[in-house]
Amino acid sequence: MRLEFAATGARTELFRVFETGGLRVRCPNTARGCEAVIVNTGGGIAGGDHAKIDIVAGDDADATITTAAAEKVYRAQNAEASVEVSLRAGARSRVEWLPQETILFDGAHLSRRLDIDLDSTASLTLMECVVFGRMAMGELSIEGSFRDRWRVRRDRRLIFAEDARIDGDITGLLDRPAIGRNARASALFVHVAPDAEARIDAIREALEPVACEWGASAWNGMAVVRMLSPSPELLRLAILALLRAMRGRAAPRVWQ
Amino acid sequence: MGAQEVFDAINDGSAASLPLLAWLSPTFPVGAFAYSHGLEAAVEAADIVDADTLREWLRDLLRHGAGRNDCILLAAAWRAAKAGEFAGLAELNGLALALAPSRERLLETRAQGDAFVAAISAAWPCEEMTEFAARETAGAAYPIALGVAAAGHGVPLESTTRAFLLGFVSNLVSAAVRLGSIGQTDGQKIIAASMRDVAAIASAARVATPADLGGASMRSDIASMRHEVQYSRLFRS
Repeated sequence: MRLEFAATGARTELFRVFETGGLRVRCPNTARGCEAVIVNTGGGIAGGDHAKIDIVAGDDADATITTAAAEKVYRAQNAEASVEVSLRAGARSRVEWLPQETILFDGAHLSRRLDIDLDSTASLTLMECVVFGRMAMGELSIEGSFRDRWRVRRDRRLIFAEDARIDGDITGLLDRPAIGRNARASALFVHVAPDAEARIDAIREALEPVACEWGASAWNGMAVVRMLSPSPELLRLAILALLRAMRGRAAPRVWQ
Repeated sequence: MGAQEVFDAINDGSAASLPLLAWLSPTFPVGAFAYSHGLEAAVEAADIVDADTLREWLRDLLRHGAGRNDCILLAAAWRAAKAGEFAGLAELNGLALALAPSRERLLETRAQGDAFVAAISAAWPCEEMTEFAARETAGAAYPIALGVAAAGHGVPLESTTRAFLLGFVSNLVSAAVRLGSIGQTDGQKIIAASMRDVAAIASAARVATPADLGGASMRSDIASMRHEVQYSRLFRS
């Protein structure tokens, strides 16, 4: 699917949309900018599925992209599922990529890519959250594979890369001390903006009361937060607190 | 370079690996002793309290963290330098720096990398290092710089990845000793016990490519972030 946002005067519109596969988009009215909610009508991701989402935000655009529900990744026999997201943000644009959780079922094999190209004056917020196993179904231990490759470029220069790779006995690894110490959900938040480093104290302050493990750091015009929890619900509350502090308003309505 | 040539290089039974003893010695002026890779925060948080907890923590770093990933980057840099592919080498270095998960982990790899490049350029000059250094304006990642020097001086790749990993483990064990988590003897036992992982990971890195990069040492990354605001600290990371 392809989404193109453009600023027209003080407003931002989703002016061009190509919907492919089972992916649809809707834009609820919001007080500021343009919010696009992606709906996966297929209800989840099966082995062998390949989803591709290209997002372009023109100069001065103010766009938030999220998903209507948590994304389920089903057990796959041998075929890996892949999700590729690319995002280009123009001069002075403000773009947020805030999908809801990705839930890996036992036996899921998922490879994700996130490729970002930013203008140096753009402001970008990325937040991805992964839940390992259907905890509500009592699925406390899972096997499978998960790859997550992020490449963030500003003015074509690579400034941030993330390569997550967890294979085989996923929950056994997540129980290990330097990996997750019993975590079942993880989140990575990256904010890139001319003033991103100046936000680090506000980020730490917002996270101080939350009931999950977190670390925050800022360098090279970025603020990065990593969070872990044995409880997806507690992690979600922490994410909502972080988004509220960063946005100066609540998370997108679908998140509430 | 084909697999046979890589194999031949590794099987060089000569004195070709000797420079590694100098470059990875604690007296080589890169200041390795000043970095704990977030370990100081893990000690503060009581994740590391004794030899057992340290050994398990280090095992995660070797298999699922910077140990394995830095070996893959080192190996790719060694091959690129050997082949004279300096544009690709610069790209690898950019990737190695971008993979730093926190401000202090970037400092850890770049400050040591820059110091290593300076020391090699001054005392062990080689064309490969000159070419590499001429292109790096944003600094050098330590495993990349080591890979370049090794290639430039004909040091076999697998010896280099092994020595690098051993240096990584030894430095963190030394940090834990200085933090009072373990004694000297326990530290040596941990280093000795890590040899099997060191050999296996170094060997696998020989044929790995950057497509194989990836890790899961998330709590170590978080520890390095929390170290930034730790009240009392001996280390720079």
